[in-house]
Amino acid sequence: MAKDKTSFRITEEKRRILIIEDEIINQEMLKESIADHYDIIIAQTGEEALDIVHEEHETISVVLLDLYLPGIKGIDVLKKIKGDPIYAHLPVIVMTSDYEAEVECLTYGAIDFISKPYPPSEVILARILRTVELSENRDTIHWAERDHLTGLYNKEFFYHYAMQLDLYHKGMETDAVVIDVNHFHTVNDRYGKTRGDEVLKHIAESLHELVTEDGGIVCRSEADTFMLYCPHRTDYEAILQELTFTIEDEEAGESHIWVRMGVYAAVDKALDIEFRFDRAKMAADTVKGNLTNPIAYYDESMHDAEVLAEQLIADFHTAIREKQFVVYYQPKYNVQQAEPVLTSAEALVRWKHPKLGMVNPGVFIPLFEDNGLIQELDHYVWSEAAAQIHDWKERLQLSIPVSVNISRVDLYGPELVDNLLKLIRINRLEMEELILEITESAYTENSKMIVKKVEHLRQLGFKIEMDDFGSGYSSLSMLSTMPIDALKLDMQFIRGAFNVRKDTRLLDIMIKLADAFELITIAEGVETAEQVFTLKQLGCDVIQGYYFSRPLPADEFEKYITSQNIMRPVQRNENGRIAPRDDYSYNALHDEVTGLYNYSAFDVLFRDADQEHLAILIADVDDYDSIKQKGKAYADKLICHVAQVLKANFRSVDYICRLTENEFVVIVTHVTKANKETVFSKIDKINRSLKTPWEDIQPVDLTVGIAFSDRTKPGSDVFKDADTALQRMKEIKNSGYSVF
Amino acid sequence: MLTVETLKEFGADVETGLARCAGNEGLYLRLVNICVQELTANEMEAALSANDLEKAFEIAHRLKGGVSNLALTPIETPVCELTELLRHQTPGDYDALYAQLMQKTKELEELAQ
Repeated sequence: MAKDKTSFRITEEKRRILIIEDEIINQEMLKESIADHYDIIIAQTGEEALDIVHEEHETISVVLLDLYLPGIKGIDVLKKIKGDPIYAHLPVIVMTSDYEAEVECLTYGAIDFISKPYPPSEVILARILRTVELSENRDTIHWAERDHLTGLYNKEFFYHYAMQLDLYHKGMETDAVVIDVNHFHTVNDRYGKTRGDEVLKHIAESLHELVTEDGGIVCRSEADTFMLYCPHRTDYEAILQELTFTIEDEEAGESHIWVRMGVYAAVDKALDIEFRFDRAKMAADTVKGNLTNPIAYYDESMHDAEVLAEQLIADFHTAIREKQFVVYYQPKYNVQQAEPVLTSAEALVRWKHPKLGMVNPGVFIPLFEDNGLIQELDHYVWSEAAAQIHDWKERLQLSIPVSVNISRVDLYGPELVDNLLKLIRINRLEMEELILEITESAYTENSKMIVKKVEHLRQLGFKIEMDDFGSGYSSLSMLSTMPIDALKLDMQFIRGAFNVRKDTRLLDIMIKLADAFELITIAEGVETAEQVFTLKQLGCDVIQGYYFSRPLPADEFEKYITSQNIMRPVQRNENGRIAPRDDYSYNALHDEVTGLYNYSAFDVLFRDADQEHLAILIADVDDYDSIKQKGKAYADKLICHVAQVLKANFRSVDYICRLTENEFVVIVTHVTKANKETVFSKIDKINRSLKTPWEDIQPVDLTVGIAFSDRTKPGSDVFKDADTALQRMKEIKNSGYSVF
Repeated sequence: MLTVETLKEFGADVETGLARCAGNEGLYLRLVNICVQELTANEMEAALSANDLEKAFEIAHRLKGGVSNLALTPIETPVCELTELLRHQTPGDYDALYAQLMQKTKELEELAQ
């Protein structure tokens, strides 16, 4: 089979012909007649022929069948092929000298005849060619639908074609690529649909030109998404360059069209074609909106995430049934009084997975949002929370309103209002005790319908908080028409305002704006005293965040609200590993130099992590004193480099913290027997990366100590164990790693 | 030695036979040699003397396929007649037809030597 790039085409491939014929003279004649144009497989008997059909039907174009065969007769072979839905599409040409048999064969689905004795070679060739064309056109007509706008293939045909290519190029390394236009809807909004269509056509043409000459195929799979399937190549950066361009318009001004690309290189051909492009898409989504580095390659960590995702989806219903989802409550404080007053709480879901331990909602919520399971999960959380409010009212005589999340899909469900009212009724709650948080982005889609629905809920007496406000979806003018009671400022937004260069001007405007519309403002993700102070100054009404308390399980929350001392941050140093520090109230949970979590964050994260399924990895940068002698700028750059390498090698569910100036610690979560080994291979990879000089950074040596929680004796501390392992390594003055 | 000329002398429709071999003379002659071997294998004689007409038909049919495709006309006539008789197991003088077939085969075999 041809292997060079340019033959990544079906049209340039030899079709395969199965000849079923036992007579050697006839076989030889047929071979001589057609071997220049076709690949030939010979079967001597009907049995052998059926085996071949079973194994290779996908790549056989035509079957030539002799009716007189030893063993199973030719006519029965024909019946078997035509009677099986998988093989029935195979065109069969019958070779016979018996005219009567022809009629019978026709009724069983033979497509043509070759008489015996044979006609001249060229006649045989012509009949086969005609048969190939007829049957392929029939197949192609079935599939050939192009995208009307761009003239590229549509997705269905593209997949079909790609699978055919695979059959003919079994050994070739092939890439699946997804290309998305960033913020394409804004192009349509700004320049009109005609202009938008031109942009898509332009991209389609460029792509087509760029890749088809090297033997790739392209399709437009959705509005602004293109897919590419081609022999493995390495010039994607260049392709991307070509696709980025500027539109100019006298009235609307000029605008850059940015595309992003996800590449799943050297695909695993055992995967369904759709999954290969899912992987490419997954990669593309990781660089959504990233203009400086718009290409992502599907890699092992994404694979890990994918495997995890599959498991989580598979385990979902058991988890609901077994109540593995646990609702945590994070208090919200009114800060516009002399002393902060606890006013309500937000219900946040956690998953105590029996095998994986505590699963981060950041991992499973987006997943369930994608596949619709979120509706079931939401309903579960609502009923748990409603029952909890009821319980606290009964036992503690305390009314603590709890806010729950309403996902976008919930708003489309006709039973939403009934479900909520039912929960209110059976738990004998007041309407305002179950607060509804609706994400900002839900309002932008089909907003009329959504606004109407939310209005209805509000008229019934529910309080509505708009979640994630400031994450970039709504226009401020929408605020005047929105049926809401409170604005919840997006956590990222708060972080942005308080990062290294503190800039709270926008925060100020938003709070004033909310005030103008008589909306309550709630800030979440608030971590420091400085943030609380500033937000209070700016007029923010309610604050939620680690400064006051992390989300707590119901029993702890209960203790918390009944205790006297509820205004101070919770103590986070119980496990004794890090002694209380004087500068405990220092700015944030993040390290200034690297942006990683700092030691305060580590303590919280470590305590919250599932202790049974984790590994602790402490990594010290060797010879840090001599590194520092090269100046602070150099030392900081080196530390950032190490941080980057660590980040690149661990998953998003792992926590990487900078503990001291030259000490990092990684909390590897969800460790199971099966994935333990990958921890070691990651360390090897990290050490290899760091040994290569990077820019002006000299090779870096890390000394690493590791401990796994399943090896730690009950009652002892996995962090201490890792530390012991680290010290052991240091004693022998060796970089590398040691396991406790 | 078999050549195109000797086969023509024998009475074969060489042109037609060659056309089925895409004009490849070497292949054509090689196939004629194979055909001679098949004809002289005496399988048919054994089947006939055992009065196994079904078996004899199968053999005749197969021989007919090769002989007709190679357009060995002098052999084709008796092998076709024999095949048709055997197909319907019509009573007839199989031995005479077979003798005729073998006679022609022998002529061809001699040409081949």
